[in-house]
Amino acid sequence: MERVETVPVSKSVVLEKDIVRFDKHQIIQHIVLFVTFIVLALTGLPLKFHDWSVSQWWIDVWGGIETTRAIHRIAAYIMIADCIYHLFYIGFNTIALKRSFPTKMIPSPGDFKNLFQEIKYFLGFSKERPKFDRFNWREKFDYWAIFWGLPVIGISGFIMAYPVFVTKFLPGWIVPAAIIAHGDEAILAVSWILIVHFFFNHLSPGNFPLNKSIFTGKLSKERYRKDHPLEYERLVGTEEGKE
Amino acid sequence: MRKWLLILAGGFLVAALFSVLIFGRTNALDQNRCLSCHGDPNLVRINRDGTKISLYVKEEFLNTSSHRFIDCTTCHDSDPHKVITPLDKVSLAEKCGSCHKYQYELHRQSIHGEQLALGNPDVATCVDCHSPTSNPHNVIRVLEYNAPTYKKNIAQTCAKCHSNEELMASYGIVEKVYDSYMRSFHGKAIQLGTYEISQLDKATCINCHGTHDIKRVDDPNSPVAGAENLAKTCEQCHEGAGVEFAKGFLGHKEASPKNSAVVFFTEKFFFALTASVVSFAVVIVGMAGIRWGSNRWKE
Repeated sequence: MERVETVPVSKSVVLEKDIVRFDKHQIIQHIVLFVTFIVLALTGLPLKFHDWSVSQWWIDVWGGIETTRAIHRIAAYIMIADCIYHLFYIGFNTIALKRSFPTKMIPSPGDFKNLFQEIKYFLGFSKERPKFDRFNWREKFDYWAIFWGLPVIGISGFIMAYPVFVTKFLPGWIVPAAIIAHGDEAILAVSWILIVHFFFNHLSPGNFPLNKSIFTGKLSKERYRKDHPLEYERLVGTEEGKE
Repeated sequence: MRKWLLILAGGFLVAALFSVLIFGRTNALDQNRCLSCHGDPNLVRINRDGTKISLYVKEEFLNTSSHRFIDCTTCHDSDPHKVITPLDKVSLAEKCGSCHKYQYELHRQSIHGEQLALGNPDVATCVDCHSPTSNPHNVIRVLEYNAPTYKKNIAQTCAKCHSNEELMASYGIVEKVYDSYMRSFHGKAIQLGTYEISQLDKATCINCHGTHDIKRVDDPNSPVAGAENLAKTCEQCHEGAGVEFAKGFLGHKEASPKNSAVVFFTEKFFFALTASVVSFAVVIVGMAGIRWGSNRWKE
């Protein structure tokens, strides 16, 4: 399955009703990422909120603290493997398959313009939503947040999991610093996903109850035209787009 | 055949009823029937100066007490009615020590025991830790889940005194030891773990500070005095732990610019980051929600 990525794009991604947006690797990466993310949050947050009685109950549901600790570590290694898979996937695509580098994901000043345009629209100062290209600023934020968040949460988690090993090379304060970084970064990630990601991909008009494109790889032309008009025009052409 | 089945079923019923009725009933040994008088809550002795002393012994306590199978007169000497004064903290510890000699000796050398010998009434002695009501008739065996000395309950037992800020301040202990323990890896693991002893292989107060032989933290003999001693203590569980590992412990203190400045600034940085990103998230979703709400959820 080929997918929309670069300019000029192959017309083969434009199907009769849909446009192919993600390939199977991306679909798998997203599924593994969100499953491990949910498992990590469910097994990790009770430790952050250890004095809530619901945490005690929830840990017991899983079969005790030792079980949640084991599951948390396994899920963490799977998530890290998933991210390495993603990096290999990009490297393989660009180096071995000689596809062009996915530059559309790189943040640009245009994203800030779009953000301000969108705020103007939300506040009612403008009637027009910004015209997004392949990825809007939220999608880029979601994506790049992992490049910051996964190293922070992964390294701090590693420090907490193997403190004796780590303090053979690093100063002792790294351990209490890691617990703070790990917990706060977790709150940050969970809040962002629950508030922004869920709102715009599940609750926003036209997407309720779920934007399925990340699971099917395809997005209907209709939605593509509304959500990613710049890319849509490039792919389908303005004439057809206006209908 | 049917008759036999009925008899069998009836037999099971009677056995079940019987086991329910006797279940959990362990009566304390009361060879001299002391409880026939001392089981009365109103039994008091009026001293010559008019003060009253309750002579009531709660049978319920005795029945679950670790000493339920030794008779009253083992501790209350053979003619208990001749004893005039009730026991005080010092004589009570001595009394326990008449059998538990080793523990008594260790306690005498501990900071609690040293202070006890000086007549300090604040300190913990045998019953303060071994009985939930500081009552010698209510001493519970260490491995029973409701014992104050059961691993899962130890932090709360120490906290009876050590989270009393006023009392602790008078000894110069300003660190909130209980709160900081409960926030630590060990505290969370103990709190969220079950009561199964196999789940309680985490350190609590006594694993670092000692039990009967507990010392002041600045006593060179204390297992937590100085990074070297502390590292050896950590190593009891964390195989290969070194001095750097031990230094990762902030001494029951909050991180501050003076105490572990890096940790303090890490905390501030992550708080600022999380707070700003989450506020941004709330604002953007709030704005979008209002806009689309006023559009009646159309685009």
